[in-house]
Amino acid sequence: MVCTDTFTKFGRRIASTQGCPYVVIADTPNPIQDLGPDELRARAEAMIATVIDGLTLPPSEIERRFKDIVRRQIHPEGVVRSSVPV
Amino acid sequence: MTHAYVDLKAESLEQFVEQFPTRAYEHAYDQGWTDGLPIIPATPEAVQRFVAASGRAADEVIGVLPPRKGRATVEVIAANAVMAGCRPEYMPVIIAALEGLVDPRFLLEHMQVTTNPMTPFLLVNGPVRHKLEINFGTGCLGPGWRANATIGRAVRLILNNVGGALPGIYSKSSLSSPLRYSYICGENEEENPWAPFHVDRGFRREESTVTVFRAFNFCNISGSQGVGADEILRQIATQMLPMYALGDGALLLLGVNHAQALRAAGLTKRDIQQRLWKFARLPVSYFAKSFADEERAAGRGDAETVWRARSPDEFYIAVAGGPGPQDVYIAAGMPQTRAIPGI
Repeated sequence: MVCTDTFTKFGRRIASTQGCPYVVIADTPNPIQDLGPDELRARAEAMIATVIDGLTLPPSEIERRFKDIVRRQIHPEGVVRSSVPV
Repeated sequence: MTHAYVDLKAESLEQFVEQFPTRAYEHAYDQGWTDGLPIIPATPEAVQRFVAASGRAADEVIGVLPPRKGRATVEVIAANAVMAGCRPEYMPVIIAALEGLVDPRFLLEHMQVTTNPMTPFLLVNGPVRHKLEINFGTGCLGPGWRANATIGRAVRLILNNVGGALPGIYSKSSLSSPLRYSYICGENEEENPWAPFHVDRGFRREESTVTVFRAFNFCNISGSQGVGADEILRQIATQMLPMYALGDGALLLLGVNHAQALRAAGLTKRDIQQRLWKFARLPVSYFAKSFADEERAAGRGDAETVWRARSPDEFYIAVAGGPGPQDVYIAAGMPQTRAIPGI
């Protein structure tokens, strides 16, 4: 998954509802809407290693690396509403 | 974080009774079960009464609600309806609305998680409006009527509590909308000079129905009277700006005055749809180029203008409200109409 950092946890949360909690997420600081081609290329280059990881790592390794992160990101314990990204 | 500021150790029955409503509200708020407003405690007895009023089994699943795939059983629906302040007899309306919401053509999951503030709008037709006192006349979209206030609220609580659209967690609606508290009215069939909306949708006049729309806004249109059909419709159409909207439609709640004036001028609903389709257009120069390009690619524009809708069929016409030269435009589409059995 590729997204801006505002949506990283949300993306994993929604992916988990589709049965994919361990999706590898390449994120970049939000926003990107007004970036030009050169700035976008720099952002993409910074993310490419994560993209390659997502395409090449075996699922067991991805699960090992992200196990703790996934638990925290899917649903922060005890939080039922939030006005800031969680 | 808990917000319970009431001493949980009641020293007497009287003190317990006095504290119970506030404690129930605080507990529900801490659990994320409310929309922020007070709730009626969903005691087992109350839930049983509501299940019985539905005429269905408690464990019947009406739908599985996204994004968290919560099972909306009749019992769970009843618990939320109790909390929302409904009467038991409202249950069939809520269940019928949910049946419409879970239709795959409604795209509920997108509504539940998007940054857009879209929300269901419920239009109720048929005898149920009288039986349950669902307001369709003066003030029908405003405060003051229990059925209007609580049926829509129950749907919202179910979407949040069963679907899991917790604000800021699964729902990413950037600013959200006050329309998400309750957005519902009946159609004023008695002063509608044409066929009621549900008859247009293939139901019999004597049937009761609820139609759910994907709704994005509320826009009241004030307009003068007696200036001719085209002028009335131009005044309405100029408020229907082209917009980025997956709802793909425009619902016009014609006020009584304009409905009767348009009918007196000899217009059918189809005439109104066709004229609105032609009038609700603006020059390309009015818009950002990228927006105009997108709309043209989506079939809502040509080289010179951007249109509110692809075709006349995307304008939905109903009559609501009381006397006065007022109409309401709701950017709303993908309607799903369901019969309300037993009423």
